[in-house]
Amino acid sequence: MGWLGGTTVAMILFAIGTTALIVRRDLVIKLLALGLVNSSGILFLISIRFQPKMEAPILPAKVGIPIADPLPQALVLSAIVINFAILALSLVFVMLLVERYHSTDCARIEHAVETEKATLGSQNLAADPSGADAQEAIP
Amino acid sequence: MILPLFPLSHILLGLAAIAWKASARATLIVGLIVDMALVAIAFSPAAPWLSSTVAGGWTDAIGIRLALDSLALDLILLTILLELAVIIYLWRQHLRPSFVILLQFLVGAVMALVLTQDLFNIYVILELLTLVSFLLVAYDRRTFQIWASLKYLILASVGMSIFLLGVAVAYTNVGSLGLAALQRAVAENPQASWIPLAAALLVSGVSVKAGILTFSLWLPDAHSAAPAAISAFLSGLVIKMGVVVLIRLAGVFPLALVLQILGAITGIGGAIYAMASKDLKRMLAFHTLSQIGYLLIGMGVANEAAAKGVLAYALAHGSFKALLFLAAGAACDVIGSTEITELARARHRIPLRTRAALLLGTLAIVGLPPFDGYIAKAPLLNAAHGWANQIILLLLGIGTAASFAKLLPLFKGPYRRVGNDPAWESYIVLALPIVLFLPIERALFGPASVLPAMDWVIAAESVAVVATGWLVHQICRRLSFRPSESLFRLEPGMFAILLGFVAIYLLLRLG
Repeated sequence: MGWLGGTTVAMILFAIGTTALIVRRDLVIKLLALGLVNSSGILFLISIRFQPKMEAPILPAKVGIPIADPLPQALVLSAIVINFAILALSLVFVMLLVERYHSTDCARIEHAVETEKATLGSQNLAADPSGADAQEAIP
Repeated sequence: MILPLFPLSHILLGLAAIAWKASARATLIVGLIVDMALVAIAFSPAAPWLSSTVAGGWTDAIGIRLALDSLALDLILLTILLELAVIIYLWRQHLRPSFVILLQFLVGAVMALVLTQDLFNIYVILELLTLVSFLLVAYDRRTFQIWASLKYLILASVGMSIFLLGVAVAYTNVGSLGLAALQRAVAENPQASWIPLAAALLVSGVSVKAGILTFSLWLPDAHSAAPAAISAFLSGLVIKMGVVVLIRLAGVFPLALVLQILGAITGIGGAIYAMASKDLKRMLAFHTLSQIGYLLIGMGVANEAAAKGVLAYALAHGSFKALLFLAAGAACDVIGSTEITELARARHRIPLRTRAALLLGTLAIVGLPPFDGYIAKAPLLNAAHGWANQIILLLLGIGTAASFAKLLPLFKGPYRRVGNDPAWESYIVLALPIVLFLPIERALFGPASVLPAMDWVIAAESVAVVATGWLVHQICRRLSFRPSESLFRLEPGMFAILLGFVAIYLLLRLG
């Protein structure tokens, strides 16, 4: 299994995640796929500059055994926090959308939002009390 | 160690706004004063130690280098200008503390991004910008805003994952995250096999944030759905953060051809959609795309005059696009519609100063002399070599003029005083650089940079371009051509990012 390194697995996860983001219509599944894409980035980052039989870069270091590069492993912490924030916030927004439309279907929500936005302008105009628009429209 | 104060002061003020909710509004003013003071120190000749520093006193290999170069200074000035205008615009409205906090974090992140010279730091700050603008776009919690910003978050997050892969590939081969080390490594061995892959990953990742077709298909929805003040910030400033990163990457990798092709696609595509758009805010959002096209072509030309032109145009575009978005927001609020025909019909109810601001913004963006759109565009037109670039820039100018010709009915009489303008002082703040751009550009980029703007041939060409645009508008008005808007949904946007990455990779590999 020497060929199956972390970087290869990361690429496979990235491909699965992006495919799911395109083909699946359910918003929650889309967010799961987004999580997969983000995790693949993290896995890729900790797999670089690492060879089998390397030790984790934790003090005290053992003498004579090569240790993995500590910098990517430190970077990953920020990436994990960011991805957590993104998933949490987008789930809140999906919740708001579900409250209004009672559906997690991406295509249905998109259609409802577009029709709602198209009717928004004319509704406001109809409520205008001054009636100035009607006068303007005659000539 | 004064450079970290630029971003840090805003983050701290944001936290202060959380602690003392009653005086949240005052922190905006304090932040503005701090920025002005820091820039004043930076401009003073007695401070050469300002120019570059590694934060925290680490070595260059693992530390984060901050540098105040001309690019950073240019965008910091733009930030201060927009901050001032937006604060005045929002001053009489009720501001919730959470809104103020997000605004402070947005400005802080912008300041951090223009200063940083470190790839991973760029990634973190771009993600912070995504999160903050995601919350600000949907601040009023209307459904189309929520959907637009959710789409933005998902697409931007995938883009940033691609960017992170690029960072990892670059780090594997260079062993440092600093842009200077990366530049040395690329210069030493320009044929190395990792360079096309790293460059394609980094460029396509950041293009999602930079308003570049076909990566940023979220942009028209997000920028037109946001509240007016936020649209001004996003379109004038935040979208340029992606461009800043691209400018930094163009200094490392050989990207000239890629940038010119992306610029052509972005500019022409944005202009076509803007011509077809019937909604004022949406048209302005599409024009953000077309003006990013100018910047990309200027970067792709890659000579010194063009680089200065790009900086000047970034500054000019920030001022007039913010003015247009603020005035359009005020006009749409009064009328209650964003349709251009409705606005024109009810034009007598739009306050006069708002209409004047829209007119000034229109004159500036189409590039008529003597306003800043023309003065900043002239060096770009002058420096863009090659017939392909010239033709694309001409088409861009014609497209811009043709789409803004739709606004002309708005400026007809009657001119009666109606209502009072909620925030006309902010128009003045933005109108000043639009009218007085010549001395500003002279002071910032040297006397040679304003010479093209003095050229009668270029001035005549600009006027001719605007006239042609008006003619094109008259012809197009009779055709009912509407390009499909379903391109700007979530799945096509996602697909376009992946396709764009493959295209850029092949271009860099083979070209």
